[in-house]
Amino acid sequence: RTGEALRAFHAAIRSSPGSSRSPAMKEQAQGTMLKVLTSFKSSEIEQAVNSLDRNGVDLLMKYIYKGFEKPTENSSAILLQWHEKALAVGGLGSIVRVLTARKTV
Amino acid sequence: MAYHSFLLEPISCHAWNKDRTQIALCPNNHEVHIYRKDGAKWSKIHELKEHNGQVTGIDWAPESNRLVTCGTDRNAYVWTLKGNVWKPTLVILRINRAARCVKWSPKENKFAVGSGSRLISICYFEQENDWWVCKHIKKPIRSTVLSLDWHPNNILLAAGSCDFKCRIFSAYIKEVEERPSPTPWGSKMPFGELMFESSSSCGWVHSVCFSASGSRVAWVSHDSTLCLADAGRKMDVATLCTETLPLLAVTFITENSLVAAGHDCCPMLFTYEESQGALTFGGKLDVAKQSSQRGLTARERFQNLDKKASSDTANATLDTLHKNSISQISVLVGGKDKCSQFCTTGMDGGMSIWDVKSLESALKDLKIK
Repeated sequence: RTGEALRAFHAAIRSSPGSSRSPAMKEQAQGTMLKVLTSFKSSEIEQAVNSLDRNGVDLLMKYIYKGFEKPTENSSAILLQWHEKALAVGGLGSIVRVLTARKTV
Repeated sequence: MAYHSFLLEPISCHAWNKDRTQIALCPNNHEVHIYRKDGAKWSKIHELKEHNGQVTGIDWAPESNRLVTCGTDRNAYVWTLKGNVWKPTLVILRINRAARCVKWSPKENKFAVGSGSRLISICYFEQENDWWVCKHIKKPIRSTVLSLDWHPNNILLAAGSCDFKCRIFSAYIKEVEERPSPTPWGSKMPFGELMFESSSSCGWVHSVCFSASGSRVAWVSHDSTLCLADAGRKMDVATLCTETLPLLAVTFITENSLVAAGHDCCPMLFTYEESQGALTFGGKLDVAKQSSQRGLTARERFQNLDKKASSDTANATLDTLHKNSISQISVLVGGKDKCSQFCTTGMDGGMSIWDVKSLESALKDLKIK
């Protein structure tokens, strides 16, 4: 089960629509990502974050903040845990890049 | 590290004279103050009052001992020392927004001013009219020019701008100089020619710097990145996404090492690996003081839990030398290829001089190539 969540996570990161302008595609990607992030157990988050490279951490941070924008039942709690782990790896710079990014997720 | 607190307000900009005994700075107002080193103290020896707006840039020409200042009043003045008084000469920049940065060229026969008018004014002295005239570089700049740096050949100029790009232009003025010989950035260099333009990062470019040889240019931008373009590798750009808050100033200290500082209030070392074309973080250059740990009483511990939801004793104060963002770095000794001392000024009104050898011995993991 652990392996599946991690694989889904990497797949979601890889298939992120980087330069697509279509809002529908972005919505779908956000929805998928949120489902994957909320399906993780707290203890597995750190391992997942450590498996990403620098660009992956930046992308994850963007999705985390996008997830904060539209809170659902219980989503914020798990997202905050993701945020803590991502911040430890990406530093304040990754948050600055969420704020300054021209291409949103 | 020698730290001197000049003011309680930010130091807007600073410049050193040739032998580093005097520093000219703007104390966040319309004036420029010049301080001279008297042993361990600094005494103010001149106050230059001519600008009608905040002085945003100062540069001190080492050989001709002239100062150039620019400000939000859309003017620039060239100051010459006559006896014991600095006399200003107005330079008409023909801009309709604030001037933001100014730099003398290496041969000191021209200077460049970046402004909010989305252009760069290249000013040179016309002998027949005894007057400074200027030419504009406009295309394709789309926003305020925040920083400038000259290439050692006196012709090429790097400009960092709020339209997220770092560009290299030719500022060749045929009235004052010979046609330039080809460089790794290109061979045809008519005035205003765009030799290099970075692809968009996502932040205002706060500071640009050419390496000592001129074949590399580095810049820092507001999206917490440091970039370097290497003409020797076909203008390939290496980018480093830092983990810090945005950097505001950058300079080369050797051909492969850079020091940058910004909103994290402490200078940091970065190294460029030419073979891989990659930038890496080399460490923070501030030697953290050992903060005294005094024990918390039970009452204080409970109060901390109540106020801050944590009972750790970490100070709310910074343990870096500068207590606010560092806005400018200047090389003092050794030039950009063998820098042994550099200076930082910041929004805490303080000026700090950093010695590279002492840093190397104090921070054992530091490797300056």
